[in-house]
Parts: sequence; structure tokens; C-alpha cells
Amino acid sequence: MFDSSILLSLVGLPLFGIIILFFIPDTNPDLQKNVGLSTSLITFLLSILLWLKFDMSTPKYQFVEKFFSVPYSNMHVYVGVDGISLFFILLTTFLIPICLLASWDSIKIHIREYSIAFLFLEAVLVCVFTVLDVLFFYIFFEAVLIPMFLIVGIWGSRERKIRAAYQFFVYTLVGSVLMLLAILYIYFQTGTTDVQVLTTITFDYQTQIILWLAFFASLAVKVPMVPAHIWLPEAHSEAPTAGSVILAGVLLKMGGYGFLRFSIPMFPDASIYFTPLVYTLSIIAIIYTSLTTLRQVDLKRIIAYSSVAHMGFVTIGMFTLNIQGIEGSMLLMLSHGVVSSALFLCVGVIYDRHKTRIIKYYSGLTVKMPLFSIIFLFFILANMGFPGTSSFVSEFLVLTGSFKSNVFVTTLATTGVIWGAAYSIWLYNRVAFGNIRTSHISAFQDLERREFMVFLPCVFLTFLMGIYPEIFLNAMHVSITHLIEQVQ
Amino acid sequence: MDFLTFFGNDFKVVMPELYLFIVCLLLLSYGVIFSTSKLLNYPIIQINVGWLTIFSLFITLSLLISSPITTMSVFNNLLIIDAFSTFSKILIVGSTLVCCLMSMNYLENKQINSFEFFILILLACLGMVCLVSTNDLLALYMSIELMSLSFYVLAAYKRNSEFSGEAGLKYFILGAFSSGLLLFGTSMIYGFTGLTNFEELAKVLTGIHGVSDTVSYNGILIGITFVSVALLFKVGAAPFHMWAPDVYEGAPTPVTAFFSIVPKVAIFALLLRLFYFTFHDFIGFWQPIFLYTGVLSMIVGSVGALYQKKIKRLMAYSGIANVGYMLIGLGAGTVESMAGLLIYLIVYIVMMMAFFSFVLGTQSEKDAKLNTYIADLVNLGKTNPALAFSVTFILFSMVGLPPFAGFFGKMYLFLAVMQSELYVVAIIGVLSSVVAAFYYIRIIKVMFFGTSNHYVTYKTMDKMNALVLSGSLFFLIFFFAYPEPFLICAHKAALGLCL
Repeated sequence: MFDSSILLSLVGLPLFGIIILFFIPDTNPDLQKNVGLSTSLITFLLSILLWLKFDMSTPKYQFVEKFFSVPYSNMHVYVGVDGISLFFILLTTFLIPICLLASWDSIKIHIREYSIAFLFLEAVLVCVFTVLDVLFFYIFFEAVLIPMFLIVGIWGSRERKIRAAYQFFVYTLVGSVLMLLAILYIYFQTGTTDVQVLTTITFDYQTQIILWLAFFASLAVKVPMVPAHIWLPEAHSEAPTAGSVILAGVLLKMGGYGFLRFSIPMFPDASIYFTPLVYTLSIIAIIYTSLTTLRQVDLKRIIAYSSVAHMGFVTIGMFTLNIQGIEGSMLLMLSHGVVSSALFLCVGVIYDRHKTRIIKYYSGLTVKMPLFSIIFLFFILANMGFPGTSSFVSEFLVLTGSFKSNVFVTTLATTGVIWGAAYSIWLYNRVAFGNIRTSHISAFQDLERREFMVFLPCVFLTFLMGIYPEIFLNAMHVSITHLIEQVQ
Repeated sequence: MDFLTFFGNDFKVVMPELYLFIVCLLLLSYGVIFSTSKLLNYPIIQINVGWLTIFSLFITLSLLISSPITTMSVFNNLLIIDAFSTFSKILIVGSTLVCCLMSMNYLENKQINSFEFFILILLACLGMVCLVSTNDLLALYMSIELMSLSFYVLAAYKRNSEFSGEAGLKYFILGAFSSGLLLFGTSMIYGFTGLTNFEELAKVLTGIHGVSDTVSYNGILIGITFVSVALLFKVGAAPFHMWAPDVYEGAPTPVTAFFSIVPKVAIFALLLRLFYFTFHDFIGFWQPIFLYTGVLSMIVGSVGALYQKKIKRLMAYSGIANVGYMLIGLGAGTVESMAGLLIYLIVYIVMMMAFFSFVLGTQSEKDAKLNTYIADLVNLGKTNPALAFSVTFILFSMVGLPPFAGFFGKMYLFLAVMQSELYVVAIIGVLSSVVAAFYYIRIIKVMFFGTSNHYVTYKTMDKMNALVLSGSLFFLIFFFAYPEPFLICAHKAALGLCL
């Protein structure tokens, strides 16, 4: 039944949920939360259907349908899925129910608007990952700013949230307007904005360099790459738990997706030309941010900086332009989406109880919250790149890929594993082990059933991706090979 | 009855303008006779005149829309009626109609009981309507004067406020000065060509670059410079913008709304006709003028608004920035840029209508005053969330964030600018819109994330302002779904001027 228009239903379902939510009065907050959660769960099931029906043997776009047509211009917007975008859609629809479930008790004001913001975010994110048109990718890319700005600003947790929301907004806007100019230039020169057509067109070398730089300005802020990464720790520490989850889980991946879908296929010569730049910035990101983490006092900031370090790995993998590297970076993006989100959820659990995120106040959590400590340990090890978890597989693939490309870069990147271990283990040591500080921490209940259910799928996915990643890599092989062929 | 056949057909063609003029006179006489009548105890007939004005503007709008004329020049080529001028007239009369609707409540509350307000608005509208269809330098000057004189009086309309009187005086002095510059320019053009008609000037000046070694046209260039500077004064572009913040702040708020919305349409339509039709051959000369003033306006408008604390001054600087965008659309010089400019104009006037209906509609319960400072809007997100969300959408549209209409206006404009290969201008344009985003977002911040304990209760918004706000907000939010009619109209109008 959903065969012909599954992608449009993926976009339409959250919007339908928003319409239903408008009619539920504020006297019934439970119903509001339930409707939001059910809509996102149904969307997740639909996306699993998408995965099942996905044909893994062809690099062509599947489930292609026409979204709409802009009058008076040659813009016919299609939506479609290929191996690269499939998993981002799955990640999005997986994380949104987790976000809504995680904020069940902690959001007390404007509950309906909160669910509406997340459902709207889901619809726009699915559009970002499926639309096959450069201009509309840009439009949805920017449209993500609106709900994120409101989520961070209204439901954020501290006084600096306004400054964080501002920084988030203005940083992203500066990069993105330059990308808009590049897109308009492309439209003017080629007469079309359709990705399927644009990947067959070659621009001349000088034009490619300038257009690549314009795209880079925007995507580098989103990824985030050093030096445009400063908004991320601020936004994370001020956002509510679910806001951080979706920010780390999906919004950072939009930058990676932009590189894979637009920058590399459309401007291959410029990508090869700028590979040293990307490598340098990524290495700086890995080493500098990992070392910065050692001085942080706020739990969320530590995880935010470690996100930047992981995304450094991702960008190295993408620009190796061989299959191990790109598959590694894709898998790392998926794994980071799950692991980082789970880490933010862990921090959210203890923040809900103790209302502080400063490490100084925490020690000896194992004594009173053993179940939570196990799960926290699992995700800290996953963050580090411990074998058996998904990050190990993906980082290994990335390093293999980059070894083929440049040995020096690989050596420096591998040291990133050491830095990762340094801050992760130290963090866990300070927070969970040791004597419990009764002056700051009273006994609180261990994980509730709801919180446990939130972590369970993340643990399962991390294990699955770590032990048998072929399930996920299977769908990507053909598309990524096709991408590499396009570049050569 | 020979006098009826003299210009016989022409009167039928200018039916809308004629109707507007007659209504002006009739309403004026109605107002004078009845408001000074001792028998009826000097009634206050402002509301009557107001509604009659709105009604007659509506009839003018229908006359314009159903006008069967495609192209005709009337009164010995003094005026020209074509698709472009009809399009601009519809925009002008429509926005004047909405401005009158918005001002009804304000006039009732402030007890401004003189009915001349609407007469002046009608006269200004008549001036602007004639301005967009001029075909002659003399008609140009007379229409501009009719429009400007009405504006000067409107700016000073609140007689018991020194602020308003000061604004009117500043506007008058600078406006008279710029009209003087305009006259000087037109007289230079007349002196060096012997013609005042646009069509004949276009014919004479065609191909003038080809004979540039035998014909010296520097005098005409001086004339063009003065005319463009005068018109840039009128529209409030940098570096001729100094009057705008003071006048906008001092004038009564519905008059500020009128100033922000309508004259820009009229003057840009005139600039399009003058420079794309008459002086098109001198494009190498006037293109840098408009590009430089456009870039300067964008920068001045964006940066200047960062320090403002009052709403009306902020809107004045934002208007300067928007004029900057329109000027670079004007300066690009192609048909696409003209169509892009017209689309941007449509979106701009709707955004301004939305914002000013919000400003005019939010009166505090205690003393029925409008908000002066941005800080007065604090905690609106808690007291009046629907209103706060509406303003949020309007502000996001002003920033140019997709999927609101403001983004599409800017996109079509920048597409045309990129097509003319003016890359530096486009980059400066988008970067200044990022700077502008900062102060628009600050208003949202004040409303939602404010940390003050100062709560203001507002009266329920009156019916007219609520209608205007909701209608324009509907346009802004759902423009992306069905933009065809506006795009087709803009393209048709642009082509109407070029062919």
C-alpha cells in the first residue's frame, strides 16, 4: 500500500501528527505526549519498511517520486533514496521517538509545542536526506534552524541559553548564505538544480574551486570542523537532553551527508585539491578537541567536544575517496549518532536527578545506581572505540582507508584513539567510581523502566554494528562504489 | 459639446485616476460642509470619511483590475497606461487600502478627529498612481510634488506632539531640497535634448554611444545624476537616508506604516520606467550609481539597526536595508532582475503590512498606548503566545529564512543579480542579511526568552488590525505553496515595460 509513496508518507506522517496535536487541549498533557510518541514510532516502522524494500544491488535512486514543481523555473523536485541516504533516514526516525521518550518527565512547560517542534524537525530532516535537488536541500537545511533555535531557547536549561541559541543561529546562517550564492550560480550556469543531472556535469577547475569553498563554508559549520566548531559545545550544554540527542545524532550528520551527496560528486577535482586542507583541519579537530576535553568541567561539554573529534575522523574518511574510508565514515556517522546520543541521554538521566552537570559534584555513582553505571560504562567504551562496539569497526575502516591515502595523517589520527581513551576513562573514573559524596549526592533511584527502554535499543544497535556491521554496510556498498567511480 | 470630444477617449482610459480624484474632492467637500455645520453641532465625521475612503479605494482597485486597456498613452503622451503601470497601481492602491484599515483604530484611540487625514492619504495615493504612469518629465515632477506635499503634512499630523511637528519639518525641508534637485536634473535634460517626453527621449538617446565622438552628452549625464540622487533621497537610500529614522520615529504610527509601505513601490516603479526605458543606453553610467548606493544602503541599514532600541527606528533602518536590496535589483539591468525586484516588492509590502498591523494592534490595557521600545515587548511569549508566534514568523520572513515568503523574494532577487555576474554585490548582500538577522532575532529573544518581571497586558486586537495581520501572515507562510499568480504578474509587468 505504501509502496508508491513511502517517502512522502515519511514526511507527511509527522505533519499529520502535528495537526492532530493542535487539537488536543492542554488539560490533557499525557495524551499530547502519547500522540507525539506514537506518530514518531509509526514513522520509524515505516522507515524500517523502506529498508526492507530497498534494493541493494543498484546505485540508482529508489522510491523516486515527484515532490512538487516550482513554476516559472526548471526546478522539478524529486525525492529519492540511495544507499547513502537510507541510513540517515533510519537514524532520524530512530532517534526522534527516543528523544520524545527521554523528555517525558523533564519537560513541564508547553508540552504540546515541544512535541510539535520535534515532529516538525523530523519531517524537515527526512526531507533534507531525501530531496534530490540542491536548492531544496539548502531550503530544508536552513529550515532545521527554526525548530532547533526554539528548542534550545525555550526549553534549554541554563541562563546562557540565549547566547547559545544566537551563536548557533548566526554561525549556521553565515555559512549557509554563501552556499545559497553558490547554488544560485550553479542554477544560472547549468539551468537545473537536479542532483541527478548535476553529477553528470563537469565545471571547469577554477569554478569548481570557488563553488567547493562556498559549499565548504556552510558544511564545515554544520559538521562541525575546527575553527567553526565553537557553537557546538555552547548549544549542547544549553539544550535540553532531547535537543542534544537530536543535535548530536542527526544534525551533525547533515554536514557529512552534504559532503557525500553534493561536494564530492559535483566538484571532484576541487575535492581532490582540497583534501590536504580537510585532512589538516580534521587532525587539528581530533587532537585539539580531545585535549580540550581534559580541561572541561561540564559533562555535556566533554561529550560535545568528543563529538567534534569523532566528526574529525568522519571527514578524514570521506576525503580518502576509497571504499574503506567512505564506508568507515558512513558507519562512524551512524555509530556516533547512536553512541553520542546515548551518552547525552546518560547525562540527562543524572541531570534530571541531581540538577547539575558539573563533574565536581559527582563521584561514586556506582554505589547507588549500578544499572546506570553499567550502561554508562558501555557507552563510554563505545565512545573510545573499544573493540566489539560500532566505533571500533568504523574507526578501523577509516584508518585503513586513510592509510592507503596518506600514512602521516593516519598516524596522527590513530593517536586520536589514545586521546579518546584518556578523556573517556578519566571521565568515567571521576563520575562513577570512588567514594560517594554524600554532601552533594543523595540517594536517587536507579534507572526507571522508561529510561531503561530508551537505552536498550541504543545498546543493541551498538553491539550489532560492532559485531556484525555487514548488515548495515551491505546496503551502502554499491552506492559508495558508484560515488568513487564518479570521482575518478 | 465639443469639449467632450477633446481628449475624449483618454478620460475613459484614466477612469481609475479620475474616479480617485473625484472621490477626493467629494469627500473633501463632504467633510468640510458637515464638520463645520453648526446645525448638526459640529459632528466628528472622521470614521465616516475613513470608511468611505476605504470603500472608494476598493472601487478604484476593482476599476484597475478590470481595466481593459493594454497599452495606451493619453493626454498627448503625458501619461502612459500599460501592464507595468497597472500592476504598480494595483499594488499602490491595495497597500493604501490596507494602511487605511490599519489606521482606523489608532485614530479612534488617539482622538485625532480631523477628517483631513484620509483626504491627504487619498491625495498621496493619487499622486503615486499618476507617478507610476508618467511619460513625461513634467508629469513626473507634478506627481512627485503631489505625493510629497501630502506626505509632509501627514508626517506632522499629530498637532499636539512636538515630535511629530519636528518630523514633518525635517521631512519637508529635505523633501523640498530633493525636489529642487529633481527640477534641476530635469531642466538639464530638457536643456540638452529639448525633449521632456520619455518615449521621445528614449528614441533620441538610442545608440548614443555609437556617435559618442561627435555628440557630447555630458549635460544629459549631469541631469541623470541629479534626477537619480533626488529619487534616491525620496526613497531613503544611503547616503541620503539621514531623514528616515527621525521622520519614521516622529510621525504617528499609521503614517509611518504608510511611509514604509507605499512610496517605495511608486518610486521604484518610476525608477524602473525611467532607467530601463528612457535612459537604458546610459546603463554603463547609472548602473554603478545604483549598485554603490544599494551596497551602502544594505550595509548602513544592517549595521545601523544594531543599536536601536525603539521599534519605529528599527523599522526605518530595516527599510533602508530593504531599499538597498531593491537598488541592487534595479542596478542589475536585466528583465529577470526587474521581475525579481517586483516579486521582492510584493513580499516586502506584505511583510511591512504584517509587522505594522502588529505594532498598531498591540495596545496596552492600562493606558491604550502603543509600544515604543523593543523592551516593551518583553514576555509577550507568556502573555500572548499566539501573537508572539505570529511576530516570530514575520521576523523569520524578514530575515529571509526558508520556507517563508521573504526567502523567496530574496532568492529571486539574488538569482537575477548572480545572472548579471555581480558576484561581489551578491556576497555583500547576503552577508548584510546575516547581520540584519541578528537584530530580528533579538526581538524574538526579547519576546520569548526575556528574563524580566515586567508583564504588560494588552487589549484584544481590534478587528481591522487582526484581519490585516492574519491575512498577511497567511500570505507569508503559504507563499511557497502557490506563488504562481505573483510570479506571473511580476513577469508580465516586467515584460510589459520592456516590449
